[in-house]
Amino acid sequence: MLTAETLNTVLRSIYVSGAATLISLTWSIPASYYLALRGRSRILETIVETLVGMPTVLLGLLLYFILSSSGPLAPLKLLYTPQAIIIGESILVTPLIISASYRLLRSTIRKFSELALSLGASKTQTMLLVLRETTSGITASAIMGFSRAIGELGVAMMVGGNISGHTRVLTTAIALGVARGEFEEAVFLGIILLIMTITITVALKYLSKAYEEWYA
Amino acid sequence: MVRVELEDVWFRYLSRGRWVLKGVSVSVENNELLVITGPNGSGKTTLLKIISLIYEPSKGDVLVDQKKFWELSDSKKTLIRRKITYVHEKPVLLKGSVLYNVAYGLTLRGYEKEEAFKRSEEILKELGLEARASVNAQELSIGEAQLVALARALVLNPEILVLDEPFAHLDARKREILINLLKEKHEKGVGMVISSHQSDYLKNLNISKTINLEDGKVVQAH
Repeated sequence: MLTAETLNTVLRSIYVSGAATLISLTWSIPASYYLALRGRSRILETIVETLVGMPTVLLGLLLYFILSSSGPLAPLKLLYTPQAIIIGESILVTPLIISASYRLLRSTIRKFSELALSLGASKTQTMLLVLRETTSGITASAIMGFSRAIGELGVAMMVGGNISGHTRVLTTAIALGVARGEFEEAVFLGIILLIMTITITVALKYLSKAYEEWYA
Repeated sequence: MVRVELEDVWFRYLSRGRWVLKGVSVSVENNELLVITGPNGSGKTTLLKIISLIYEPSKGDVLVDQKKFWELSDSKKTLIRRKITYVHEKPVLLKGSVLYNVAYGLTLRGYEKEEAFKRSEEILKELGLEARASVNAQELSIGEAQLVALARALVLNPEILVLDEPFAHLDARKREILINLLKEKHEKGVGMVISSHQSDYLKNLNISKTINLEDGKVVQAH
């Protein structure tokens, strides 16, 4: 049943994963742009692709040590807060967003940069053109990042602590439901998670398309 | 007036890659028509992009009105680049309508949308493409796309127009329209640099210089 607590968990999941994705985008997109401009680097590609598959439990554990009472960031008192999950997930999705955006930008950046220069664009205009022409691809990268963030369990459990009404998100609630033997509740939450991910993905794709049509 | 001079230009794409251009010296200015010929892979496109001030040479100088272009500030570079327009062999069109694509360069120069669209409609009419103005540019045939890319360059009224294989994807009718338009622009003083396998198409134009490239070197010039 959709109780007030379940609704809060859903909203918290959207907030935490959305914030983590947006924060990650602020450095992932410039980094992808920079890497694509530098030309192809197989070493960097390999490093980024390896980090895409980093186990979330491992990242959660590392963050736990950093944020715990004996860790270097203990004074910030972030452990078992939604902010800790946001930090963890923003780190988690960074390689995925960079990897997807970099591949897209690498194949288009030269073509559109040359076009912009040939039409007399300034550096800023050139960058804006490349970003505009890659909006749908960048949006797809962001959606991938969001889907990864909202569906991950390790970081949310390790640094969030699954505290009811405070840090509980859909994935940790599902894990708790299974642990308690409340399978009906777990399946219900799983369906909500799936529907929510699909809805947000479709909405973002629609918005991206609408933006492109409006701009042209 | 603008004059672009390449002095002993060498170019390679990677720092230790093979040389694509090996000591090319050439110049072009308003009123001139420079034709570049040569087999595939001889460096024609790279040379055109260096003349168009898109690529910086690995060695050698590019002088624009006797000043070293690549030592100028970014804002001065942009102002000079606006006098020279390059058109790719494979047309690169933006997402959006044909009219939007043609007007794009004008909007970069600060023209109001209405004025940019008005001028773009006029050039599309000259090229016989007025009926395609509202069509999505991604839906055009390659020949139409090439003409749209040319319209986008011509609407900017460049002092030097650099065309990479402009006739490659055009049928006889479109080719004739383009040749007539190029002739008219050239007579009005627009400098041109054209690379083409089919130099027969250029016989109606008043060619000033022809250079033949082979393996990155000028093997013949007249």
